[in-house]
Order: sequence, then C-alpha cells, then structure tokens
Amino acid sequence: MKKFLLIVFVTVLITTVSSLGIFAQEGAKTIAVIVPPVENPFFGTMQEIAAAKAEELGYKTIKLVHDDDANKQMELFETVIAQGVAAIILDNAGADATVAAVQKAKDAGIGCFLVDREITKEGVAVSQIISNNYQGATILAEYFAELMNEEGKYVELTGKDTDTNAHIRSQGYHDVLDQIPGMEMVAQQTANWSQTEGYSVMETILQQHPDIKGVICGNDTMALGAQAALLTAGRDDVICVGFDGSDDAIESILKGELKATSLQPVAEMATQAAIQADLWIRTGSTGKPEKQSIDMVLITPENADQYEKFAPKPQKKD
Amino acid sequence: MREDTSTQKRRLPYFNKTDLLQLFLRGRVFLALIIVSAVFALLSPGFLSVTNIIIISKHVAINALLGIGMTFVILSGGIDLSVGSIVGLSAMIAGGLINEGIQMNTLGIILFPHTWMVIIITLIVGIIMGAINGLVITRFKVAPFIATLGMLYVARGLAGLRNNGYTFSNLVGKPEFGNTGFDRLGAGSFLGVNYSIWIMVVFALVAYFVSKRLPFGRHVYAIGGNRRTAELSGVRVNRTETIVYMISGFCSAMVGLIIASQLVAAHPATGEAFELTAIAAVVLGGTSLMGGRGSIGGTIIGAFVIGVLVDGLVVLGFSTFLQNVIKGIVIVGAIVIDQVQLRIQERIILQKQELNL
Repeated sequence: MKKFLLIVFVTVLITTVSSLGIFAQEGAKTIAVIVPPVENPFFGTMQEIAAAKAEELGYKTIKLVHDDDANKQMELFETVIAQGVAAIILDNAGADATVAAVQKAKDAGIGCFLVDREITKEGVAVSQIISNNYQGATILAEYFAELMNEEGKYVELTGKDTDTNAHIRSQGYHDVLDQIPGMEMVAQQTANWSQTEGYSVMETILQQHPDIKGVICGNDTMALGAQAALLTAGRDDVICVGFDGSDDAIESILKGELKATSLQPVAEMATQAAIQADLWIRTGSTGKPEKQSIDMVLITPENADQYEKFAPKPQKKD
Repeated sequence: MREDTSTQKRRLPYFNKTDLLQLFLRGRVFLALIIVSAVFALLSPGFLSVTNIIIISKHVAINALLGIGMTFVILSGGIDLSVGSIVGLSAMIAGGLINEGIQMNTLGIILFPHTWMVIIITLIVGIIMGAINGLVITRFKVAPFIATLGMLYVARGLAGLRNNGYTFSNLVGKPEFGNTGFDRLGAGSFLGVNYSIWIMVVFALVAYFVSKRLPFGRHVYAIGGNRRTAELSGVRVNRTETIVYMISGFCSAMVGLIIASQLVAAHPATGEAFELTAIAAVVLGGTSLMGGRGSIGGTIIGAFVIGVLVDGLVVLGFSTFLQNVIKGIVIVGAIVIDQVQLRIQERIILQKQELNL
C-alpha cells in the first residue's frame, strides 16, 4: 500500500499546489515574461515589475526562467506559443541563439518585446528596449577616474565573454580611461558575472598586484565579490565600482564599501515593455521604433539613498 | 505448478492480491505518465491537444535520445556524465563546419562539406569521444564515473575553444557552397511530426531490437548483472563496454545536431546539465543504477514523464524552483517504488518455492 500512497501523494501535491491560483481569471489574454535566472535580483525585479504592470493592464501572466540556456528558451517559447499567449516579454539567452525563437513567435503572430539584451537581427521582435550600456559605462568611468585622482593602477573585471553587454561596457570604460595618461590597467580578467568568481579572481589579482588603487567591474555581483575579497585582505583603501544599480550594491555604497554604480533603468524598461505589449495587442502597433535605448543614472554615496528596486524612490517622505 | 488454483488460494489467501500489486508496480512508470498527463489535461484544457503533444514529444526527444545511449551504459553497470558536454561540442563542430568549413592552411583552400557530410562528421566526432571514454575505462581501469567526469570538462572546454566562447550564428549555409538545409533537421517535419521525433522513434526501435534480440544486447545485460561471470562465459567485456560508450557518444552528437539546427545557432554552453536529466529518465524508467536490469521502453516512458511534467508545470506557470522540487520528488519516489517492487518480487519467488515444496 505504501507504494500506492506515494503516487497518490505526488498527484495530490501537484493538484493542490496548482489549484492555488493561476486559473482565477478566465478569458483574459496572457503575456509571458521570460528572463534569465532570477537568483540575480536584477532579473527577478525586472520580471516582477513587467508582470505587475501587465496584470494591472488586465492580462494574465506566466513568469518563466530560461537559465541562460538557449535550448530551454526555445522550448519555453514553443510551449507558451502553443498555449496561445498574446505577447512575450523577454530578456534573452544570447543575441544570436535567440533569433530563431523570436522568429517562431513572430510566425505564430505573437509579438516579442525584448528588454535589457538585444538580438542580432532587426525586424523580428516588435520592440527592443535596452538601456544605454555605453553611456552608463562612460559616466561611471569618468567618476571612477575622478575618485582615483586620474592616476594609478587599476584592474578591470569583465562579464561573460559570450555576452555582448560585457563588450559594450568594457568598451565604454576604455573609451574614457584610455584617454587619461595617468591611468594604468594592470590586469583585465573575466569573472563571468559571478559573485563567487569575482571574489576568487580578485584574491588572485591582489597577490600579483598589491599596489592597485582601483577596481572597475562589469556588473554589481562581480563588484560585490571583489569588494568582499578586498575587505578580507584588509584593503578597504581600494576603490571598487560596479554596474547595474542593484539594491545590494546600493546598500554597500551606503555602508561606504562600494564607491559607485551605474543604475539600469530596469523598472522603466520593464514597464515600457508591458505598456507597449498592451498597445500592440490592442492596436497592432506601438508607435515607437523597434530599437529604443534608455539612459542610465550614476549612483554615488550622495544620491544612493534615493533609489531602490532599480528606480527612484517615491518622493513622499521629503 | 500442478496444483489447482483453489488449493493455492486456500493456502495463500493474498496470493492474488500480491499478483495484482506486482502487475501494478511493473507498469508504475506508465501509470505515472497517465496520472501526470490526466492531471495536467484536467487543469489546463488543450494540454492534450495534438499540437501540444507534438511539442512535448519534440522536447522529450532530446532527453529520450540521450536516455537511450545512457540506458546501454547504465545497463552495463557504468555511467556517462559526459553526454551534456558532448552535445555542446557536437553543436560547435557542426556549426563550425557550416560557417567556416574545413580550413586547410597548407593547401590554402577551405572545404565546405555538404550538409549531410557535416552531420556524418559530427556523429563520428561523438562516437570518437565515446570511444575515448570507453578506452580509458576498459584499458586503464578508470572508474566510469571519473573517466566520464573528466570527459565532461574536456569536451566542454573544447566546445568553448572551438570559437573562443562565441556562438556560431545563422547556420543556414550558403547556396554557392552547397551546404544549405541544415536548419531543416530541426524545423522540418514528416506527416506533421518533427524530424527529431521520428529520429527518437527510429533510435528507440533500433535500440530495443539491439538490447532484446542481438547477442550484443544480452552481453550488455550480462556484464551489468555480473561482470566476472560474463567474462568467464566468454563475453568480450572490454569490447562490449567500449561500444556501449560509443553508442552514448553517438546519441549525444545526434542531440547536439538537433539542438543546433533548431536554434539555427551553436552555443558552447549547449547541453549543460543534460546528463542529469538523461540519468533521471533512465532511472525513472526502472533501470537499476547497479546495472543488469532495465529496458529501453522504460527509459522512453521515463523521458515522457519528465517532459510532460516540465511542460505541464510551465503551462501552469509554476516557478522554476517549485518545478525542480516536484521533479526531484517524482524521481526519488519512483526509485522508492522500484525498491519496494524488488522486495515484493523476492517474496513472491519465495512463496512459489514454498508452494512447490
């Protein structure tokens, strides 16, 4: 009988959990929101904001995660297309490998609204709403140089080599820093966007170059990892800056650890994606060009307390 | 047994009940599949529509193909952790052959092989990777777990090295080189059913035939059951084991081709962690990790249980975290039932022996 109970148990588990909601609103159109692993608060917040806006506009939502796996992303696309979603909001799993999936949605008459990351082909997605990574990188690099008094050795931690954003950000940093004669880059290493790798890579670099004055990172998680390594080594004099503007980074800036970050207008992008998806579903057009870029904001200890969840705080308190 | 059934019943009142129970347990994976499908069909109308079943089968095909190779490996008492990495490597090999061709620097020419040549070369690469696994295991007496763990890293590293971590995109080939049509493998269909599903069906039938009807198949079971006995009975253990890993490499390369073709792009991280879902499908299908016991059919059904579960949970909008929890419970639950069945079988054999005494 034990065996039978087990099967019953599993079935009951599946049925009870699934009856917790989801089917509440019948008839409403559905928008799928597909993002990279939500362990990174950046994507989690983006998904929540986009889904909340879509629900506010009267849609049902399905929230999914593609784990940066293009094959899984394709499978998710096929599944939601078969389920008849009206639109897909997507932060994709690779500029090249995503084109086929977005094309498939387009062929099925479903609009894709890309946020944060672009794809290499135009005319497939309805909108590509991206933050101006290059502009964000240059303002951050300018502030970084200012903090270092425009001279000294520094290290750069770059993101995943396969990610276009890693290259654009690095390009932005160097277009500023390479113009300043006193700034010397002694090491450039990838930490694959990861906090753990940021920590271990920083430890290694510190062994080789104990005389560094600053660290500029391709995102916040790597910066937080590097910062932890610097603190462990007792090097709180080293200037460390990140990129993205996550709540963790802002908290660190307020504590006086990280010195700056560039804030991604995640809330703005996610909200825009939902609004444009709604417009497109109702009228067949967003009235905007496919590629839209939104400027980033420099976060320093002076303004860090005014931002949370990738957006300016509501101004009620003042 | 010569005694008539009435005396049997009197002497062993619950004999029939255990018989039924055993039947139920034998078909447990199938039952699980029916239950899971029924639950999702109930919760989500249209889940069992023809289009959706085809989509699910397409997703299942990938895991099932890996599972077929993995079944042979596990039946022989081994394990293959390198399948996911070989999927990634094969995708990169195929992508490179289509976009860059074979560069012969000494001759100063570039060869662009025909699409079907690309497929054959890629499959051969898969078989070679499998053969290396097999040779390391049989000749150098390295435990399969370690040997294939090494291959997991090597093949994944090679996949990254092939194009320095970059993706080969837009794998459609050029008409002037005569290497177009690669994308048809993933996108094309026959009688409304995708090629990848047909490939799964053909592989499954061939694998079933090989495992049940050919001496090779019986040898695999024999090695997994008792390696020493098999050796003493004249089975060429080393050769059989090497072939088993070559089959697994071959299946992995096939999956790499299918994925690269479906995405029309080859990414070096393709197939990460696929080995675990493949092992899950095999184990769910009732194949014992100890070797010697299991079947191809079970693996296919196991792959379907996982596929239906994953797609169903996606349709219902479950979070990835919860999806993983449920997947884990189902796999362990299946093994628990598996163990119970073994014990009951033993008891029944004992009872029958008692009766005969």
